[in-house]
Amino acid sequence: MTATLFDGIVQGLQLSLLAVGITLIFGLGGVLNLAHGQFAVIGGVAAKLLLNWGVHPVLAGIGGIIAAGLFGLLVDRSLLVPAYRYRGEERLLLGLILTLGLSFVIDGYLNYALPEFSLMLSLPIPAVQVATIPMRTAGLATSLIAMMVFLALFLFLRRTLLGKTIRSIIENEIGAELCGIDPSRTRTIIVGLAAMMAGLAGIAQGLFSSLGTEMGPEFTILGLLVAVVGGVRSINGTLVAGVFLGIINAFASRYVGAYVAFIILLSVAMVTILLRPTGLLARFT
Amino acid sequence: MSSRPIFSRYADLVLLAILLALVPAIAADSPYYLRIATLAVVYMGWTVAFNLIFGHTKQLFLCLGALAGSAAYVTAVLSQQLQLSPWITIPIGVSAAAGLGVLFSYVAVLRGLGVIFLGIVTLAFSLIFQNLVLGLRQFTNGETGLVTRTQDLTLLDHPVASYYLFIVLLALALFVYCSVMASRMGIAFRALSDDEQTAELSGIDVTTCKIIAAALGSTVIGLFGALYGFYNGIISPNLFSFVSIDIPVLISLLLGGMRTRLGPIIGAALFAVIEEFVRPFGELNVLVYGVLLIVLFVAFREGLVVMLRKALGLSIP
Repeated sequence: MTATLFDGIVQGLQLSLLAVGITLIFGLGGVLNLAHGQFAVIGGVAAKLLLNWGVHPVLAGIGGIIAAGLFGLLVDRSLLVPAYRYRGEERLLLGLILTLGLSFVIDGYLNYALPEFSLMLSLPIPAVQVATIPMRTAGLATSLIAMMVFLALFLFLRRTLLGKTIRSIIENEIGAELCGIDPSRTRTIIVGLAAMMAGLAGIAQGLFSSLGTEMGPEFTILGLLVAVVGGVRSINGTLVAGVFLGIINAFASRYVGAYVAFIILLSVAMVTILLRPTGLLARFT
Repeated sequence: MSSRPIFSRYADLVLLAILLALVPAIAADSPYYLRIATLAVVYMGWTVAFNLIFGHTKQLFLCLGALAGSAAYVTAVLSQQLQLSPWITIPIGVSAAAGLGVLFSYVAVLRGLGVIFLGIVTLAFSLIFQNLVLGLRQFTNGETGLVTRTQDLTLLDHPVASYYLFIVLLALALFVYCSVMASRMGIAFRALSDDEQTAELSGIDVTTCKIIAAALGSTVIGLFGALYGFYNGIISPNLFSFVSIDIPVLISLLLGGMRTRLGPIIGAALFAVIEEFVRPFGELNVLVYGVLLIVLFVAFREGLVVMLRKALGLSIP
């Protein structure tokens, strides 16, 4: 029971890492990134390539995260430029199609170039006892890292000038621009940050079980669900939604079959969206 | 506009009908090309329906495959389990798809869901549908698929006859589309796609408009889905997946031009041609697909019909 709960929280934090990136890019850039799961896969692939060159696993992980971030920067500065020329619904639609195309390009290339790819990392100590419950160190480590990332993100958004700039753009892009903020520069930074978090989620997947090149679309869809259940503009909401859906998924997979578990997860997401269209924590943010 | 005689107003559709009717004369020797032409007509039907739902009333349904699949599976499972004739089960399957479409549309309007939220809810439904089909193995035969050959629909065993059957269905779909757009409802749709709030303020019943568009669109999607299931001979979750239906239809609509009469037809035809060119790339076809999607959409963002209108100064509907 407690072990299942713990598993759910770990998975949930991983989902939140993915979904926060989608939330940030949507809130700031007005683009719903349909290639976000592929960013996670790119992080994992880069880490694996570094490992194959004999780089230390920790450094390889960091390298993978940086590679994902650089890729995000590149995408923001090249592919998304035509989308940023428009505003509102036009931009949303163009962004949707461009990132969908990008996800095809990444999936197509990676599945072709690395058909047998799988990233599996293992920690030196596989499991530890915490208050009589055996816990996998991989889960503990990824949750700790995820929580640290979230803490850093909150402090960044609350305390620093850049963070306040970001929040003001999320509130109102035109208003922020009138106050002398350059949205495009901030946007690039955020897309890079979001891609780094996605890369971390991809590497965490490798640490937890294994990461394959075909997992991009699954990551994207789960991330989208979590982002939308959390209310696509709220970061706290996304964090809560990720953990909530992670716990539901863990319990459902433990007690019923995999298909039914997925159906339960999706139905809960659907019902939550219908009950609270503006997100779980809409009133508190 | 309305004073012009009927023929010149719909001359483009007559021309289209003649063109499409001539296809089997050219492709009849090759079953392969005839099959591709038939599939293109099926996708044209889906795209016309999606134009009504997404183009005109801005409801992003990301469950076209699931709606078509629901109709096909309800039809096939009922005729096999209860030994019913397809003439009874097809209407039931189509009503199932229409009912689901109306449900999503109604719930979205009721809860005031925006474009993205409805998109995600319907995307979740797509995945639920896929997992239900895989999970209910005793009825659906899981991933292997369900054989739909039946003695009662021998028409669909004949390639040329099935091509013409789908042409008739497409004509029916276009007839519904044109009569809706020529009615008061059509004026309401145009106002609604420009600005929903203004439309509502000027006395248009936005809720009813959206639900009617979703109902008509889902019925067409279901009808094509159910018959496509019989035509294909076997139905599997893969046949109705998000990637094999929703994405081609979305690309076709955007390529041809949203909110135009001929856009869905031209888009779906062009998509079928592109798919043929991409086929030889084998495993890399997904990549080529993605590059094409990006390039085509950056270059022809408003769709071919609008672009041709501007470039040639013609009034293409």
